Amino acid sequence: MVVSETKPNPVGESKPRLDAREKVTGAAIFGDDIQFGNALLHARILRSPHPHARIISIDTRQAEALPGVKAVVTGKGFPGYIGLYLLDRHIFCRDRVRYVGDPVAGVAAISEAIAEDALELIEVEYEILKPVIDPEYGVSSEATLIHPELDQYQVASFILPQPNSNISNYFKIRKGDVDSAWDNCAAIVERKYRIPHIQHVPIEPHVAVAQVDASGGITLWGSSQSPFAQRNLIAQALGISQSDMRVIAPYVGGGFGSKAGVSMESLAVAIATKVKGRPVKLLLTREEEFFTAFVRQGLIAYFKMGCDGDGNLLAMENKFYWDSGAYTEYGVNITRASGYSSSGPYEVPNVKTDSYCVYTNHPVGGPMRGVGMPEMHAGLEQCIDELAQQIGMDQVEFRRINCVKEGSILVTGGKMHPTGLLQCLEKTAEAIGWGHKAEASAANKRRGKGLALMWKAPAMPPNAGSSAWVELAEDGRVTVGVGGQDLGQGSFTVAAQMAAAALGVPYEWVRVATPLDTRYSPYEWQTVASRLTWSMGNAVVNAAKDARQQILEMTAEAWDEDLENLDILNGMVVSYKSEREIPLENIVIYGLPKADDQGWIGGPVIGRGKFMPDYVTGLDPETGQGERAVVHYTTGAQAVELEVDLDTGQIEILRGAAAFDVGKAINPELVRAQIEGGFVQGMSSALFESLNLKDGYVQNPSFVDYRIATSSDVPGGIQSIIVEVPQDDGPWGARGVGEHSMVPTIPAIANAIYDAVGVRFDGPPFTAEKVYLTMLEAGIVK
Amino acid sequence: MVQIIGCENRLTSIVRLGISDRLEEFYNTMNAYPGLPEFDYLKPETYAEASEFLVTHAGEARPFIGGTDLFVQMRDRVLRPKYLVDVKGLEGMDEISFDNSGGLTIGAGVNMNRLIAAPEVAEHYQILAEAAQSVASYQLRTRATIVGNICNASPAGDTIGASLLLDGMLNIYGGQGMRQEALSTFFLGPGETILQTGDIVTSIWFPRPPDGVKGKYIKLGRNKLSDLSIVGVTAVGYPDADTVSGTHFKLALASVAPVPLVVEKVGEILGVTPVTEETLKDAAEAAMEACTPIDDVRGSARYRKLMVRNLSLNALKDVWHQLSLLNA
Repeated sequence: MVVSETKPNPVGESKPRLDAREKVTGAAIFGDDIQFGNALLHARILRSPHPHARIISIDTRQAEALPGVKAVVTGKGFPGYIGLYLLDRHIFCRDRVRYVGDPVAGVAAISEAIAEDALELIEVEYEILKPVIDPEYGVSSEATLIHPELDQYQVASFILPQPNSNISNYFKIRKGDVDSAWDNCAAIVERKYRIPHIQHVPIEPHVAVAQVDASGGITLWGSSQSPFAQRNLIAQALGISQSDMRVIAPYVGGGFGSKAGVSMESLAVAIATKVKGRPVKLLLTREEEFFTAFVRQGLIAYFKMGCDGDGNLLAMENKFYWDSGAYTEYGVNITRASGYSSSGPYEVPNVKTDSYCVYTNHPVGGPMRGVGMPEMHAGLEQCIDELAQQIGMDQVEFRRINCVKEGSILVTGGKMHPTGLLQCLEKTAEAIGWGHKAEASAANKRRGKGLALMWKAPAMPPNAGSSAWVELAEDGRVTVGVGGQDLGQGSFTVAAQMAAAALGVPYEWVRVATPLDTRYSPYEWQTVASRLTWSMGNAVVNAAKDARQQILEMTAEAWDEDLENLDILNGMVVSYKSEREIPLENIVIYGLPKADDQGWIGGPVIGRGKFMPDYVTGLDPETGQGERAVVHYTTGAQAVELEVDLDTGQIEILRGAAAFDVGKAINPELVRAQIEGGFVQGMSSALFESLNLKDGYVQNPSFVDYRIATSSDVPGGIQSIIVEVPQDDGPWGARGVGEHSMVPTIPAIANAIYDAVGVRFDGPPFTAEKVYLTMLEAGIVK
Repeated sequence: MVQIIGCENRLTSIVRLGISDRLEEFYNTMNAYPGLPEFDYLKPETYAEASEFLVTHAGEARPFIGGTDLFVQMRDRVLRPKYLVDVKGLEGMDEISFDNSGGLTIGAGVNMNRLIAAPEVAEHYQILAEAAQSVASYQLRTRATIVGNICNASPAGDTIGASLLLDGMLNIYGGQGMRQEALSTFFLGPGETILQTGDIVTSIWFPRPPDGVKGKYIKLGRNKLSDLSIVGVTAVGYPDADTVSGTHFKLALASVAPVPLVVEKVGEILGVTPVTEETLKDAAEAAMEACTPIDDVRGSARYRKLMVRNLSLNALKDVWHQLSLLNA
């Protein structure tokens, strides 16, 4: 048959995005666009003005009496705890505030202005407590305990809080014998880095609308990466059934992790329980977005690493003090991830790591693109450069020798799966012209190149699950149900491509059931960890295969043929034996007449599929060693060429190159978009971004003074290279790349600055001022 | 915003911890309001009507043109006017006119994109267009005006240096009718000018610039687009037979003093001796000595001083280079 020669497979093609037209024309519906009519109430939140204080009393009487106010809510009615890995947070503060911005009370009123006025009438008496604003101090015995009840909190089995301390998770690696390894080292580098807090700054701020019906059923509309996690965690905190909690998640205007787990959504829900029947909307201001939404936590990192004279890494000793903020319900697992990946993408026989998740009176640390990896790699990949230079070896060669390859013994003791890291390194080095130094563009400029490697595994529970369904309409068109969100990364598009390929229909026939709605959409743990293409993708493929199987079994019976001779191609069921064919049209709803024409078989087709990794093992709490710590690692490399302006200290990124091993690019253009987008966000965090905290107060909670890279700051050329070494359990071999692309950017830029002018810094951002004054002190400029 | 009972106790403990200024900062900057406060909008038909309303509602009414600064300050409750008096429709507000003898007049309502695109500005007052081009983003420049930039009186105002060095004069309608004020005496402090209640700036006027004038604006921002300047340096120069050097230089600085700063000494140094690498450096050093920057979130005083030196040198060199090309 001719058709078999042109068997269409949309996987691997850069199909246009499903949501492109809607978004470009402005038709796409986001959280704030949903109309609720006159019943809508507006919520505002009274927040703690203190980094650390005890609440003595709250008087809401005057606020309640203000005309237009429908409810004033405090922590009084909400004793439950909320949190993803560690339940350490109340919805509203009850007896203590732990950061500037901690929610103390909420008001629902007929207008935002009245709600805001009501906040001024709430009287709160505080007793000031001494704040903890430094994580290294935070672990000391002198530090005030921020959560004295830590030992009573519910916690996931793999998180290890230390009672009577501010350490909410302590992760250790003890591999080999570090202490005796130093003697064999020809070179040792020891460094300390300080990585500042940064914000995700999605264009769309957090928004949530909650409504409670007469029987107590709750509906929440929100800009969300995690409708199912929100359903579960909010229901638990309120003590209601997950089935009575419905989360509807329309399009998201950027998340980057800040809209994962639960944050402000629970406030809207709690307020809505007091005004049954009326929808209550809470929309964060940009300022609130900066200091009350999840931040990327700060890090103080110590590295010590050594190698022999031939450049073989022998030992690493790392200490991470994570400045994880007032609540670490999500952050605890980020600090764990940095521990089990703490060697970086290198095979090192002796490793000792201590990663401390430390409570501080700072904004709440949470997941952000890369969850701990950009922060950790920032220092680690500079040390690798320095070590290579110390023994006089080219940095690319040094990485070639030491980077993980298939079968390498990992820092957690298990073996590395097949990986294209070496290819990524070589292709990136070639693309940036490694080893060739170009002339600076002007007399007052210095030019440099830098490169860094990375690895990252999905940071998630060992058994995070995905599910999907696939159903067909009368005309054979396909609708795919998923529970994972499209944050702009294109997950709906790749879900449609995979469903089309697995079922045997053109890509254009497939839609995705949106918006996500926990009442109708299948379960998905969360849209985080770069896990959707791989995990949700597997579920979609399984659902499509299930639907396909139903269709083929029905046809085989109707045609009295063997199943193995049948196929679905381009929306037609075909037989390779009899050369019969029939379109999917109608048969996927009405079935087929039996072979003897006496009755019918089949009926509406609905395929179901799920995926859950079942092979991740635990790690020994004392050594961090185990058979398989994570599902897999995505690896990659990035390089930049830049110029330093000697008159101002300004850095101009001239071009970038990056390669990542994605296993299989389901949609190559979307992969390139991730590689470029991550480069830009990484560059922004390297050059500009820092949430400046002073005594617990954010100094720059707006875009006026929290600068991010604009399109004008982006270099003209970012070369994106796709490497494909298949993942054994990925759909078509695919694994994730969404976060990875911003992991190596800070050290790549730092290494390039060193190449250009010979100075290093204790941490980003490498602002013009910092670069200039450092050059001044080094005598490079006068 | 938040009233707290037991206030005295609370304040005592705060003072002990030394964070009272932080607390105030929280209320001022962190705990932002979601929207604009309510206000009444008026659009008078004559200057007299507008001015009279501003006088009779002193403290409650503000003139309004582009709103790019006003709305931000209202949203942050720094300003809470009861009335906005929209004056951009008044006669002459949207006009640009130029003639060889009379110079350039730019109505107060002319937005920056129009100013940048105007051929007469590009031909005779290129430095003004260059400075305007550095303000915010294209979108905001469709609302922002040069007169607004001046009246906002921010020490960081990007177009103020060029306006000062081109000897701009403001045409103002006030209680006594029309009057002119020189920019050189216009600024009193950050956000403070000599404008009186009821004054409406109708336009800015520039004399015909000296023949052969060249200029350069260097804005140092934290990133390339839409930032406030850490330091802004405007330099202009023109052939001048009355000086020893044959050239007259002028330099103005942004963001390094309470008001936009013209460094007179630069003109003196580069007037009395021939222009060389060395005298340009001396002039740049003089600029550094003249400025009085502060430490803030955008940059330290130390860095700002050094940048005034380096960028003044670059700007002056650039102008000198442009002038030499003219002679060659």
